[in-house]
Amino acid sequence: MSEPMLQVAGLRAGYAEATVIRGLDLAVGAGEVVVLIGPNGHGKTTLLRAISGIIRPAAGQVLLGGKDVTGWPAERIATGGLVHVPQGDGLFAEMTVEENLLMGAFPRSSWRSRRKELAGVYERFPVVAARAAQRGRTLSGGERRLVALGRALMRPSRIMLIDEPSLGLAPVAIDTVYEAIAELKASGATIVLVEENFTHIGGIADAVHVLETGTIVASGPYAELASDPAIVQTYLGSL
Amino acid sequence: MAATDLVGIAVTTIILGSIYGLVAIGMTLIYGTLRILDMSQGSMVMVGSFVGWGILVVAGLNPVIAIAAAFAATFVLGVLTQLVSVQPLMKRRNAIDFEMVTFITTFAVAMILTNVALELLGPQQRNVTPVISGGVNIYHGVNLPYQSMAMAIVSIALMAGLGIFLARTRWGMAIRAVAQDLDAARLMGVPVGKLYPLTMGLASALAGIAGVFLGGLYFAYPQAGDLPLLEALIVVIFGGLGSLPGTVYAAYAIGLIQATAEVLVGTTWSLPILYGVILLVLIIRPYGLLGKPSEARL
Amino acid sequence: MSALPNKAEPTPAPPAVMRSAVTLPAFPDMTPARWTVTSALVALAAGIPLVMTNQYALSVMVTTLILLVLNISWNFVLGVAGVWNFGQLAIYALGGYGAGIIMLHTTVSPWLAVLAGGVVGTLAAVLLAFPTLRLYGIYTSLLTFAFAVVIQYVIVNDGSGLTGGTFGLPIVKGLYSSLSLAASARAYYWTALAVVVASTIVLAAVGHSRLGIALRGVRDAPAYAAARGVSPMRYRVIAFAVSGFLAGIAGGLYVSYNQSISPSAMGLTPMSIDVTMLVIGGLGTATGPIIGTILLAIVQTSLVSHPGAELTILGIFLLVVVVFVPDGLAGLAARYWRRISAWAAEDDQSGEAAGPGEAAEIPEGSPDPNVA
Ligand SMILES: Nc1ncnc2c1ncn2[C@@H]1O[C@H](COP(=O)(O)OP(=O)(O)OP(=O)(O)O)[C@@H](O)[C@H]1O
Ligand SMILES: [Mg+2]
Repeated sequence: MSEPMLQVAGLRAGYAEATVIRGLDLAVGAGEVVVLIGPNGHGKTTLLRAISGIIRPAAGQVLLGGKDVTGWPAERIATGGLVHVPQGDGLFAEMTVEENLLMGAFPRSSWRSRRKELAGVYERFPVVAARAAQRGRTLSGGERRLVALGRALMRPSRIMLIDEPSLGLAPVAIDTVYEAIAELKASGATIVLVEENFTHIGGIADAVHVLETGTIVASGPYAELASDPAIVQTYLGSL
Repeated sequence: MAATDLVGIAVTTIILGSIYGLVAIGMTLIYGTLRILDMSQGSMVMVGSFVGWGILVVAGLNPVIAIAAAFAATFVLGVLTQLVSVQPLMKRRNAIDFEMVTFITTFAVAMILTNVALELLGPQQRNVTPVISGGVNIYHGVNLPYQSMAMAIVSIALMAGLGIFLARTRWGMAIRAVAQDLDAARLMGVPVGKLYPLTMGLASALAGIAGVFLGGLYFAYPQAGDLPLLEALIVVIFGGLGSLPGTVYAAYAIGLIQATAEVLVGTTWSLPILYGVILLVLIIRPYGLLGKPSEARL
Repeated sequence: MSALPNKAEPTPAPPAVMRSAVTLPAFPDMTPARWTVTSALVALAAGIPLVMTNQYALSVMVTTLILLVLNISWNFVLGVAGVWNFGQLAIYALGGYGAGIIMLHTTVSPWLAVLAGGVVGTLAAVLLAFPTLRLYGIYTSLLTFAFAVVIQYVIVNDGSGLTGGTFGLPIVKGLYSSLSLAASARAYYWTALAVVVASTIVLAAVGHSRLGIALRGVRDAPAYAAARGVSPMRYRVIAFAVSGFLAGIAGGLYVSYNQSISPSAMGLTPMSIDVTMLVIGGLGTATGPIIGTILLAIVQTSLVSHPGAELTILGIFLLVVVVFVPDGLAGLAARYWRRISAWAAEDDQSGEAAGPGEAAEIPEGSPDPNVA
């Protein structure tokens, strides 16, 4: 493998009250889908927020495509090709679906290219197209998630961080969401995905890391980790 | 009430409402985006009046230049105000007293601007040439000065322009996005470090343009912003902080109340009556007409 | 600055369990040594008129002390209770007008007139408190700010002759109208100083009482306080009433000393100056208003020939302090004091360990479960 797309070294990050991520290393190669799993409150979301610059790392390094972006503000990292679909979607509640999608293409200054991407997303997600004029806050959970994914496709990305895409959705809706993610993988996207357990990631994970109290405690291919009763018992309570 | 009174009230309502709207909508834009109540907006009106006086009277140039110059000057001042009095505090934006702190720092800017004007230009009231002179008799005895008409038209045009800017353009949408979800907006690549000063510059520039017209109606002097500030505050309380439509409705509602009160009980009592109405509104609706207790705005 | 001073501050927390039988110490921060120093300072201040021969300087001091009474009252509602009341100058002026009108039209003792000013202030404050009860922070400041401007506007435009409009009341007989100019200035100085000392002591004691703890509880954690049975509304009205009374007394002293009062006593300019004094001194502390008022009075007096420059400089002060010294000079002093005493305690193990710091700062209290 050549230069990894994302490299995290010795990362420490957290909030005023407490350090959450305590010395974490991670490498994601181009075209890879890496899944982080771990129980509630062990810092998965915090890790993604530190990588994308929403919170400032206290120590360590984040390299994006070989370039050191540690301490950059989120908007600069975003413009540099990182797309982060936050936990809970981060839709703009009072904006329409179409406006939300257009915001996804904010770094594209040409109106024409934003419209072109919009048409592409509508084609990919007809459900989203049908809701174009509806306000973010009035969407159902499944629709919101698809809009958030669609918005992530509105600009070119080198890597995508997706935080718990299955959160709060009914099984049917989860299937739809994961189909979309599988398509992304098939098109060669580099993805870091966060989930709480192994349930949905079988088909897509190239590598899995288990996160506990702010560090990675186990890593390996999906098949290996998911079938290791010790891992499942110790870190995730049960299957 | 005679028919002339009614026509008079209608005309005054439109004129007052438009100008109140123009000053207040900037405050709303700033509150919606940055969660601060910008007390320096009144001084921007004052600066606009003085720029109008400088260009129209001292330099003898034409009104379009005066408006453009007022826009430019107050835009720059607004940007500077943000950088000096708000940006250093942004890291405390989640503290419970953030609104209070910025209320005071922008108030300090107002104090500085007013008193720099006092020191440089003296306390005297300067006549500003009306942008357009003359007037038209629109109904038996109801005279409508062109200045007022121009002021109403320009204000309405600017408010509509602001609405379109926010609804349709890339940067306008970015302002709304930041108002609704700061982190998500940053993840979209919106440079908030630039957006905040620009928003305050834009809002201040609207107040500055209002100042050119108000200077023509009244005078340019260092305290010329005090009353417009108070009126804008009343409008934004009435409409609900951070609600743009609420601000526009409130501006005309306040204009109507004031115009009616002036006809019925005279100019002197219109402000106290207005205050009484505001009290009632807030007792019934603590967050103003269209304000919301929590997040989502603009 | 902080309308709500640093909550993270380690504080002499009230005892965890507090039965109603337990009495709270009125001045937990005051060691005997501190009482001695404070008394010495007060005595020193009281001695000034005996040696001060410059009448102008003395009159500035009297004015400053009266202003200090107002600022102490404002600090209570703004800093301790955390209610963003910007109508305090109107309450003060109403108290002044009330007292002045009584002095003008009746023959009752001027002392009663000043007291009546306090009553007027209380009434005005309570009336202002009610409409703000349901309002949230910034709306409170808007409404009260507008109240102040409207009251001033009404008085300026009052054609009835009661207030004298823009020009103010005609000359009234004050507390010491029978004394010579120099003697009355001294008398006013001591009167105002006595009110300052008394109100500081009373309000500091109130700050440590159940009432004060409840007020800060409502300020810092309204939901928690309410869940504990502390009624935010009731306490807000009480805070307004207490501070309104004192503001009214300040107004009464003002009208008595100046023998008149006009709407200029309550405009935007004096309000800007008072806010600056409070914030620079340190909101919510007992020493803050004293430090801020005296310091800025000195600055103001030395710039008195440049009215524009004076307020410009105050504005810059205000900005700088809010941004760089959020808890004001009193907070800054307390921090340095704590550092010095910690250092001294380290150096000199036998020496009595430094107290919890904060010379006379009203401490933060966590909401007390038993107040109600
Ligand atoms: N804004 C914040 N301020 C302070 N602490 C926070 C904040 N956000 C999260 N935390 C704390 O950081 C820790 C890690 O939270 P994080 O959201 O990263 O967990 P997570 O692994 O994503 O959990 P979940 O699976 O529930 O989403 C938790 O203890 C949480 O309480
Ligand atoms: Mg999470």
